[in-house]
Amino acid sequence: MSAHEDVVHSTVTGVDNRKLSMWVLIASECFLFGSLIVNYLINRDRGLAGPTARQIYDIDITTLSTFDLLMSSVAMVLALHACQNRELQKFRFWTGMVVLGGVIFLGFQFYEFSHFVHLGLGLTTNVFGSSFYLLTGCHGAHVFLGVLWMSSILATSFVRGENWFPSLPLEVAGLYWHFVDVVWIIIFTVVYLFVYI
Amino acid sequence: MAKNLPRTGIISWLTTVDHKRIGIMYAVTALIFLLFGGTEAMLMRTQLIIPNNNFLSAGTFNGLVTLHGTTMIFLFVMPLSAAFFNYLTPLMIGAADVAFPRLNALSYWIFLFGGLLLNFSFVTGLLPDGGWFNYANLTGKQYSPSHAIDFWLLGVQVVGLASLIAAVNFFVTILNMRCKGMTLLKMPIFVWTTLVTQVLLILSLPVITVALFMMTFDRTFGTGFFDPGAGGQVIMWQHLFWIFGHPEVYILILPAMGMVSEILPTFSRKPLFGYSVMVYSSCAIGFLGFAVWAHHMFTTGLGPWAQALFSAATMLIAVPTGVKIFNWISTLWGGQLRFTTAMLFAVSFIAMFTMGGLSGIMHSSPPIDYQHQDSYFVVAHFHYVLYGGAVMALFGGIFYWFPKVTGYYLSETLGKIQFWLYMFGFNMTFFPMHFMGLEGMPRRIFTYASDQGWNFWNVLSSLGAYTTAIGGIVFFVNIFWSLKSGKKASHDCWDGRTLEWTLSSPPPEYNFAIDPEVRSLDDWWHQKYDGEGNKRTARVQPDVDPSTKHVPNPSFWPMVLAFGILVLASAPFFDAQGIPLALAGVVIMLVATYGWSFEEA
Amino acid sequence: MKSLQLFRIAELSQLLKNKSLPLSWGLLFALQASAQEKAFDEAEYRLSPLFGGPMNTIAGMTEWARDINHVYGVTTIVAVLVFLAVSIPLIITLYKFRVKEEDLTNLRPPKQIHGNALLEITWTIIPFILLLFIAVPTWQVIFKQPDEPPPGAMVVKVIGHQWWWEFQYPELGITTANELHLPAETPVFFVISSADVIHSFWIPQFGGKVDALPGTNVDNHLYYVTPALRNSDAVGGEVYQGQCVELCGLSHALMRFEAIVHKQDEFDRWAKTFNTAPVVASEPEKRGEMLFAQCQVCHTISGTASEDLEKQMLSMSPPVAKQGPNLTDFGNRRTLGAGTRKNTEENFIRWVKDPQSIKPGATMTPFDTLSDDELRSIAAYLRFSTAKKF
Repeated sequence: MSAHEDVVHSTVTGVDNRKLSMWVLIASECFLFGSLIVNYLINRDRGLAGPTARQIYDIDITTLSTFDLLMSSVAMVLALHACQNRELQKFRFWTGMVVLGGVIFLGFQFYEFSHFVHLGLGLTTNVFGSSFYLLTGCHGAHVFLGVLWMSSILATSFVRGENWFPSLPLEVAGLYWHFVDVVWIIIFTVVYLFVYI
Repeated sequence: MAKNLPRTGIISWLTTVDHKRIGIMYAVTALIFLLFGGTEAMLMRTQLIIPNNNFLSAGTFNGLVTLHGTTMIFLFVMPLSAAFFNYLTPLMIGAADVAFPRLNALSYWIFLFGGLLLNFSFVTGLLPDGGWFNYANLTGKQYSPSHAIDFWLLGVQVVGLASLIAAVNFFVTILNMRCKGMTLLKMPIFVWTTLVTQVLLILSLPVITVALFMMTFDRTFGTGFFDPGAGGQVIMWQHLFWIFGHPEVYILILPAMGMVSEILPTFSRKPLFGYSVMVYSSCAIGFLGFAVWAHHMFTTGLGPWAQALFSAATMLIAVPTGVKIFNWISTLWGGQLRFTTAMLFAVSFIAMFTMGGLSGIMHSSPPIDYQHQDSYFVVAHFHYVLYGGAVMALFGGIFYWFPKVTGYYLSETLGKIQFWLYMFGFNMTFFPMHFMGLEGMPRRIFTYASDQGWNFWNVLSSLGAYTTAIGGIVFFVNIFWSLKSGKKASHDCWDGRTLEWTLSSPPPEYNFAIDPEVRSLDDWWHQKYDGEGNKRTARVQPDVDPSTKHVPNPSFWPMVLAFGILVLASAPFFDAQGIPLALAGVVIMLVATYGWSFEEA
Repeated sequence: MKSLQLFRIAELSQLLKNKSLPLSWGLLFALQASAQEKAFDEAEYRLSPLFGGPMNTIAGMTEWARDINHVYGVTTIVAVLVFLAVSIPLIITLYKFRVKEEDLTNLRPPKQIHGNALLEITWTIIPFILLLFIAVPTWQVIFKQPDEPPPGAMVVKVIGHQWWWEFQYPELGITTANELHLPAETPVFFVISSADVIHSFWIPQFGGKVDALPGTNVDNHLYYVTPALRNSDAVGGEVYQGQCVELCGLSHALMRFEAIVHKQDEFDRWAKTFNTAPVVASEPEKRGEMLFAQCQVCHTISGTASEDLEKQMLSMSPPVAKQGPNLTDFGNRRTLGAGTRKNTEENFIRWVKDPQSIKPGATMTPFDTLSDDELRSIAAYLRFSTAKKF
């Protein structure tokens, strides 16, 4: 959100620097989450004490939170669309919905974590628990960062007034948000659904 | 605010976002850390000069082993390469700056603070002593209860973050900011190796980040990822570490190969032989680099099939590497060779790197590795690659580009003295280590018995090390002498081939007064000489009034943000009392991020 | 092995002196003087061989070591050939095409050759072929190690500790430390693990090293046939050296051991008598037995009360293993402190009083309240005087 947000510098590849750097960062994040997921899969059944994955997961609630995060991605698409069409109210509304979706997801995660701790699975109970919290916690931190980012855009919109349509920053934030969403789909599949096979 | 910051003096250096100044800061910092790493090496060689020596205690020695490796890799070779990326990439591709100048400053400050955090262990007396690879579970809380290991974990984590940010920045810069006409296959070869290096960094650093987080969690919060007693596995650390660690080797060597590929053509007055093959081989090395990590683990019981596959993949790397070596020799063949100091270093790179490469091929064979692993043979091998290879090339790079950066040549006389001291001392230090290894001397031992047959080789090795130390002193003297009374350098002081030689020495802050346009590889050379080699008039870049050129504004925020990261990273040292510190760090980071966002770039 | 000792330090030092280059020796003696105690045995230092030392990897004594060295030999030949193929053209090029700086201004630049497809393809293909010469023998050797003990092989469990080695012979009911006794020409299957951190088990002359990992189901294996005796009448066996080769903490450098190869009948005698309880007859021995009561919390001697205590500790839930090495037949051992000192009474007394002065970080409690006399009684009990030494 620098002062030049609307100026699209011409680049050799035709992709804006900020957008390209987000793609590069996403490539890096793939390896980050890849390592965390592999680590989780290796450690899932190696817990020596405490509850196991099968005993503890609540697939209904996680399905709900997954749906919520998916919907926030839809809101992201709509927000960007509105921003590009310079529709102020829609842009603010859908940006707010993205933030809300993210906050609800974090709420679900907070509930899930405290519920698991209540069931006897703490961070240090066993390596399954540690790997689970590290993976989902790392994803949660990404969602939190996205919420912070999107609410900053929303707040700026109110500060800057009605002629501020940051299409490019929003597109970059959108890339990030969709990526975080895709990662969650993978986590949902690998962590929550694979328990049943 | 940012606009009013001064453009000269100390403050200007603290707030600069100019890629050239940041490059200089990287280089100076890296050379200071070289003094640290070098002193550590000298202390170790002094301990090992005789058997049963008690010059150093066991604990100090293990700490120096760890810090020497970590410093040389993360705080010397990597940042010195980064100095060249910073200074040269925009100039070579004809750009005004990097894609994200403030992000570039952020990388530097994070790197500096990370390096200081690691070396703060000297002040506390708690030297991390788990080796540069920090193998679990020796480094777990149970066997290393003090905070010593945390200096390593958090220092490397912070430095890694700096490299990641810089890598994103350079990747985007190289792809997006090339001047008119510079297609990918018209880029200078150094820019290519830089690009491949950034890709390696981008994809390998997250893996070590995860590993470091896991171990930090183990040590700080009591998880058991690497604790067999809690169901964890010690071997997991080794996999994660080497998935990063092997690409890291190419991260160290590829920029060096790029520099040599620039220096050799200039001083033979011939283009690089097989440019496109050199590009493809760099990519191949980078790609294969991700498929060979387990060759560091041949003695851990991987099973025969994994060993066979990883050994085959490792051997394959010899092919693109071999191609490079023969292409360098062919570059020299038929040229007009000028033996400047830079050229001497570049040529010695070919020879020394070949030796390191050949002993590397030996270790690609698991049976040979069963005998050589963790013996001095391996120490000899990787010093031939990283010292005889990477460091010699980096010195070549310093002698080659120093006049461009400072406007003064380094003294050739002192340079040649340093070169021969290095060549002689280096080989005297590390060639005997092959014999020590074959005689069964393990790595990382602080002492040895006198009846092992290792005595003579150790004396030789230590004396060689002292010789290189003298060479190092000559180098530092050379820098100071040349800055004071060195020969002045013109724009194109070496009769170079790439765009940076069209600029004055040192270049102006805005780089190019006229946006350059290239029509071919080595465009500057073709402007100077026609097809028959007749000289023709070529125009260097003119100097213009700086106020007519837009340069990015200086900023405090990168340093503030980096400081926030340092504060956050120091929290684990205070255990439970560290929580407010961590929060303070996060707050500083947030404030800096917002300040940064709303500041005019 | 003698033939491998091409040079000796003494001769070289003479050479250096004659050439009036005493720099290295000056440094050596300066350092030696700075050492708080006599740093090393000067005679030993002078006699130390340049090649063919006790830990050398070249004089392979087992078929396994020779297999490895075969691969190494082939690879070395390839490497030397490649090095010549690089360095000779390089040197010729550097000599042939050198130009004086001052002549350069008058010279037109050479022809700008950008590459040669045929040449580049050639030196892409040749390495492939050379690599096959390395790869084929490599893979042949990798698959030679069995997963299970082959029939008739003696199983030896190797357990790494910070910083000593435990050796168990499950079939013989023997547990010992830092001294690996093996019968000659016998197939042995090592099962290698660790009690604390990662160690690595290596007897260079017998072949490659194998890491000792902590944890369950991570045991590594190593199999070979022990070497024949070089001198078939050797009494007391022939000694080979081993050492831990994975950084395992403070005293990693002092985690050595010896492998002693015996004639079959000598080994059988050792195995048969190993577990017999110490003779407690003389006054010092009786006193030593009494004093040993405070040692048995960590150490066991077969056939004594300390063994009963070990059984008790192991039957607890969770089982508790003793911290220190098993000291059965201790007086017969050649070294002390995992190969760091000769096992003399004098060194033994120093060790018990202040183990950390010999091995930094050693977990043994210093018993500095015991008098020399008391320590000598313990030494007597540990069979220092009645040791058979075969």
